[in-house]
Amino acid sequence: MAQPISKIIKINENVSFEVKIAGQGEPVVFLHNLGGLKWNRFLDQLSDHYQVYAPHLPGTGASTGLETINNLWDLILCYYDLFDELGLESAHVIGHSLGGMIAAELAATDQSRVKQLVAIAPVGLFLEDHPIPDMFAMLPEELNRLLILDQDSPEAQMMRYVPDDLDDRTELMIERIQNQVAAAKFLWPIPDKGLKSRIHRIKAQTLLIWGKQDGLIPVVYGEEFQRRIAHSELKIIENASHLVDVEQTEEVISFIRDFMKTSDVALAR
Amino acid sequence: MKFIAFHFMPYRELPSDFEEKYPSVWVTPPKTLFNPELGHRMYHDYLDELEYAIDLGFDGVGVNEHHSNAYGMMPSPNLMASILSRKIRNSDKTSLLILGNSLAAYNPPIRVAEEMAMLDVLSGGKLIAGFPVGTSMDGNYAYGINPAELRERYYEAHDLIMKAWKSDEVFMWNGKYNQLRYVNPWPRTAQRPHPPVWIPGGGSVETYDFCIENQYSFSFLSYFGHKYANKVLGPFWERNDELGGDRNPYKTGICQFIFVSETDERAQIEYEEHIRYFFSKCMHTDRRFAEAPGYRTVKSLRAGLRSQFDGTKKRPGDMLKDGTMTWQDLIDEGFIIAGSPTTVRDRLRDVLGSIRAGNVVALLHAGSMPHWLTRKNMQMFAEEVMPYVKDIHSEWDDSQYWPKGISEEKVQETLTQP
Repeated sequence: MAQPISKIIKINENVSFEVKIAGQGEPVVFLHNLGGLKWNRFLDQLSDHYQVYAPHLPGTGASTGLETINNLWDLILCYYDLFDELGLESAHVIGHSLGGMIAAELAATDQSRVKQLVAIAPVGLFLEDHPIPDMFAMLPEELNRLLILDQDSPEAQMMRYVPDDLDDRTELMIERIQNQVAAAKFLWPIPDKGLKSRIHRIKAQTLLIWGKQDGLIPVVYGEEFQRRIAHSELKIIENASHLVDVEQTEEVISFIRDFMKTSDVALAR
Repeated sequence: MKFIAFHFMPYRELPSDFEEKYPSVWVTPPKTLFNPELGHRMYHDYLDELEYAIDLGFDGVGVNEHHSNAYGMMPSPNLMASILSRKIRNSDKTSLLILGNSLAAYNPPIRVAEEMAMLDVLSGGKLIAGFPVGTSMDGNYAYGINPAELRERYYEAHDLIMKAWKSDEVFMWNGKYNQLRYVNPWPRTAQRPHPPVWIPGGGSVETYDFCIENQYSFSFLSYFGHKYANKVLGPFWERNDELGGDRNPYKTGICQFIFVSETDERAQIEYEEHIRYFFSKCMHTDRRFAEAPGYRTVKSLRAGLRSQFDGTKKRPGDMLKDGTMTWQDLIDEGFIIAGSPTTVRDRLRDVLGSIRAGNVVALLHAGSMPHWLTRKNMQMFAEEVMPYVKDIHSEWDDSQYWPKGISEEKVQETLTQP
């Protein structure tokens, strides 16, 4: 697995991003889910084809300044500032779950900054008839069962991992909780923060990817996103739940590559 | 010593299989279990009990705030306090303790400044204003407050309320969470510049400093009694000494279940069932709601997790859950102080000799206790225990932490046409 380099990028006096960077080619920004950024199989394979920039959400990893970011709007502006610092006038943005919501907000707020949008099982919409369960009131093992289909897979085992060493265990728990704290700031108590009134502004070509057996955000949400985003297509992947990017990595990568090629075609025209 | 008769106002008639059948007494207890006819009776029994405590000459009667909670049926403690204020105004002994209003839950928070000022005026300057952050279950889960904002909202609300009480002028508030062009609550408090402030809290250094610097009384309100309280009050006093605060014992309070009967044996016969109701049903909470992410600071979290993992902190709740605690264990662990008047007196003297706390929030009602038994407990405690331990700390001046009351009411002249 290629080791990404880690860079600290200060965007203003309060907020710094830790960004993991790997690969070569067209730049792609990846925004992680509420479990925090982990350099996993998906990112590894993605960086075989693109130059991947994966920032940690403020308040997670070595990214700082969460307490000075008052709301979602502040957060979105932080990401534009980060794009500036990275020299990205406009970028392909891939976001998973919470990161998918942030990616969609980025595309809706300033249409010039997101070249193409890939939203993998994003949060951000809320359907009364299909309420997303309260991810902040679940035991870890209950949440894990909703996130991943094959509970025997290495990914599922990794999520259950508890170190024997007490210091390591404490620090791992703190890291997990900090990921949740940062996510909760933008999702509490119901993950519906107004995207529905902005989503129509997304003009970028959009690929929506969903695990068919998503236990957290059911596929019906994928259909809703597709209905509301003008230039969008929905790919549903078999044998995968919410962590579809690590559960069916090859298929997800292949959909993303096909989709990114269409942008080249569109640009050439 | 000061003793406050405190009430949670629990629902007394939860089904016997409640803790097996339902996941939590808090946040999600089924509303269908609440019978308003029984609730009517309970509320009035409980108010009678607190009014009786005023007759008995307790230093205070106390109420608090919980939401979606079957053991604490006071989403608005101020409503109960307003009823009690009518009797308190005629008492020369008893103050009114609201412990308190969860500041972050009030929008705008000057609602607290207003209502507490009303209560202070109604009671004749006898109000003690309690300002808790509130639990995660109340604030984050039942009231939906973003855990990332809870503490900031709390501190901003505190600053706003205190300024509203202290200021003689109409002022403007341009806060992070509250924008008010005209802050000018009417009425103003009877006590000037404001009622004594008490902070019920857990064990964070931030809270200690907040209390010590502002001269607020710090109360550790655990249901598990004096032994656990001492683990928090010990560090409080250390911190107080570091900051050079005086050692006035009225700066701290503890919470304690106390049950008095004619003999030690009788105490067990009369009270055990109701105490077990409290610990098995009223403490039956869903650990999914234990703590929203962000409710505690990382610093507090790290300290808590470490002691949880290495087993140095055996949590009292866990001891209860395994169901093996005997009556004697409950006494030995300090969860309850119970027995004959002599036993309770001796025990209290012991405890108050080793814990530096001038205020005891006495829990004289537990779980399913019927009205008659609560009255008996209150009376026996007030008449046969309280007078024998009141002298402890009597050399200290309590006036920073306790109301003085306003001058006696002038007798109204008869309103007749001349």
